[in-house]
Amino acid sequence: MKSSAIGSAVLLLLAAPAFAAGEVELSATADGDSVALDGTLTLQITATYQSKGDPGELQLPAFSDFDVVSRSQSEQVSFAFVNGAPSFRRTIVTTLALTPKRAGDATIEPAKLEYHGKTYQSAAIKIHVLGAGAAPPASAQRKRPPDPFAQLGGAPATPDELDPFADVHPGQRDLLLRAAVDNDRPYVGQQITYSLYLLARINVSGIDKLQLPRLDGFWSEEIEAPQQLVGEARILDGVPYRAFLLRKRALFALRPGHVEIEPAEVEVLTGFGMLFSRGSSRRTSQGVTLEVQPLPPGKPAGFDPGNVGQWTLTSTVDPQSVNVGQPVTFRLVATGHGNVRDLRLPKLAAIAGLRAYDATTTDKESIEKGQVNGTRTVEQLLVPERTGTVEIPALAMDVFDPQARQYRTLHTDAVVLRVAPAAVGTAASEPVAQNLLAPGGVRPIRLKLGSAQRGPPPWSRQWFWPLLALPPFGLALLMGVSGMRRMFRIDPEVKKLRLARRAATRRLRGAQALLARGEAAAFYAEIARAITGYLADKQKVVAAGLTRDELASALAARGQSDETVRKLLRVLDDCDRARFAPGSGDLPLREAMLGRADQIIGELEDRA
Amino acid sequence: MILALLLAQSQLFADANTAYLSGDMPRAIASYEALVSEGIASAELETNLGAAYLRSGKRGLAALHFERALFLDPGDDDARADLIEVRRGNVDKLEGESEEGGTETLARVLAPLPGFTAALVLLALWCAGWVLLALRIVWSRPVGLWAGLSFALAGVAALVVFGAAEGRRMGLQRAVVVAQASPAREGPNEKSVSHFEVHEGTTVRVEDEDAGFRRVKLANGLTGWLPSSAVELVVPPGWAGRPVMAGAPRADQP
Repeated sequence: MKSSAIGSAVLLLLAAPAFAAGEVELSATADGDSVALDGTLTLQITATYQSKGDPGELQLPAFSDFDVVSRSQSEQVSFAFVNGAPSFRRTIVTTLALTPKRAGDATIEPAKLEYHGKTYQSAAIKIHVLGAGAAPPASAQRKRPPDPFAQLGGAPATPDELDPFADVHPGQRDLLLRAAVDNDRPYVGQQITYSLYLLARINVSGIDKLQLPRLDGFWSEEIEAPQQLVGEARILDGVPYRAFLLRKRALFALRPGHVEIEPAEVEVLTGFGMLFSRGSSRRTSQGVTLEVQPLPPGKPAGFDPGNVGQWTLTSTVDPQSVNVGQPVTFRLVATGHGNVRDLRLPKLAAIAGLRAYDATTTDKESIEKGQVNGTRTVEQLLVPERTGTVEIPALAMDVFDPQARQYRTLHTDAVVLRVAPAAVGTAASEPVAQNLLAPGGVRPIRLKLGSAQRGPPPWSRQWFWPLLALPPFGLALLMGVSGMRRMFRIDPEVKKLRLARRAATRRLRGAQALLARGEAAAFYAEIARAITGYLADKQKVVAAGLTRDELASALAARGQSDETVRKLLRVLDDCDRARFAPGSGDLPLREAMLGRADQIIGELEDRA
Repeated sequence: MILALLLAQSQLFADANTAYLSGDMPRAIASYEALVSEGIASAELETNLGAAYLRSGKRGLAALHFERALFLDPGDDDARADLIEVRRGNVDKLEGESEEGGTETLARVLAPLPGFTAALVLLALWCAGWVLLALRIVWSRPVGLWAGLSFALAGVAALVVFGAAEGRRMGLQRAVVVAQASPAREGPNEKSVSHFEVHEGTTVRVEDEDAGFRRVKLANGLTGWLPSSAVELVVPPGWAGRPVMAGAPRADQP
């Protein structure tokens, strides 16, 4: 029954006289046959007149089950010629916004119209009032009036964007704090917009103590934070409201899963300014539930989860032709929509022939049409170390585009750097100074030709090291010879001792010569010298100055036998006698003396 | 005859200087090179020849002859200043010269040492010391103090000689890149991989030689094989006792 009400809810009940006369048509229609207790119902009462003149007086229903929230009226007049005759038509539409007083079945009583003494009446309309917050069944959904915000221009709403007031039914409430997100199923890292509106149908002079929820699990960026309350007209359930934007923040979910954003609170000051303030009331928004989705499967190898958004990647090198040693700037720029702070750009690998300094990263963020835009610029100084061409390779970065719901790989182009040799006489990596009076330049030539030693040094000649070795060898040789000499040197005493027998024999041979010449005295004297000399050399006994007894004692003390001593003394005595007694002794005796002396010396030698 | 030869050399040197001062660098270079080929070793000649090469834009040969002038006379201030001027414009800028930088500094310190004189003084003091020692030992003469003093001075002279010899040894290994540019390869082969390139004027140290290539080490430790024609020894064959070797052509200059 109710479902047919919308299209045919127009219960055209015209009074019989009116039908007969065709002067007035009165109808009443509702935009639904059910409404929530905190919802609003729109009732339109249409009166159509077929004749000119003042319109009749419309009597509204009693509305025992409803409150009239607002009332408006419109009028339309048209002329037409039908079969050559002019036709007049005036339509007056009265629009009423109603809110039910109680749940259950309710009735909108008929409206009445007094016209030219006649009474016209519309039909009563049955309305089912649901509980507060309940949504009418789908079959009973009412057609909403066009959204006034949609008429203000701007970007068309995406499928993900939700109307922040789509499910708002303020009912009798004159102040309502409303929190909304534009996407309740975002991907990790995808931007969503959290908005906080104050809906009011009474005058609001200001707000105080706005307490935003904690946004744990998000990286958030302020999009709008109005300093003054600027309201926008908004029709909610047919009731005009002023919508004040209090905050708008961009949120980037950091991890997947079920996320509850707590309610926000605000103290609302009502009335006209400070002087006519009627007071304040506290309002709390509803909580917001999100289901943050993980990034879909199919991630490229090495994908960084922070690279979410719509990004572009470019690289430049400036300048592209330099002298060796002069620095160039390599810039890698990623720009687009998304959370630039989590963006991870590829790094330039080591390039042969280029010395790379540490890169510097700068981020810029901007808000444009509610979107967080970012630009990350990585700058790196590169110094070419060799001439020729050096290629800076292309770089690649994988990103996830939440709008397209797919992974994409961004590429930069390879850049060729041309490196030329440094100019003559200039320091390659230093700026050229102005009016630099520094020492330098080629010195003047010399006009006198000198000579230099270019031969091998003394120490590399063959004679040097032998010459150095010669002195120590010479000293060693000298010391060796000296040692040998010392080693072989004979003590005169020893020599005298060793040669005593030989000297005695030599003297005896001299005595023999004297004997042959017939010199008897000299013969005996030589015999005596041979014996005493032997005694002095060998026995260390000097016979001269000793008596015969002393001589005998000395020889006995040296171990000579008494017989030998006695023979020796006798020979010495015979020699003395023969020397001092001329003619004594003939030749045989002298020859015997010679034998005796030799025998005694032999005996002394044996006992020495 | 010797006097006539000296006069002819002086005249040729004067002609070369005149050509240099008039801007006729090819003629000046030819005259200087003629004197060099006659076996004249002179720091002045090498300095002037280096300056002429530098004016002709041949930085490698300029650096080579300034290095030779410094080898002949380590105290030659003109040659040193000109060499600095050449190096200032070198294409090759070495990074991290610490590895061989000490060696370079040591070579500069040791080069001016009077090695010849010190060697002769060493010989004299050494012999005197031993003679005095012999007198003291063999003949017991009271000359022990003098002998000790002689040996002490001989020790000082020996240190100077050692330093000069070490500096000379380093000098014998020095070489200069004379080719405008040459790739340094991993092996003595044209097909070997090249990781870097050296340019004229860069001073290197020759560590080995094989098959027409020389293994060189840069001051920062970079090592590679260069064609022998691309790098010229500072001390040429025939100098400082270095044997004269046939077939060591100079690099072609642009």
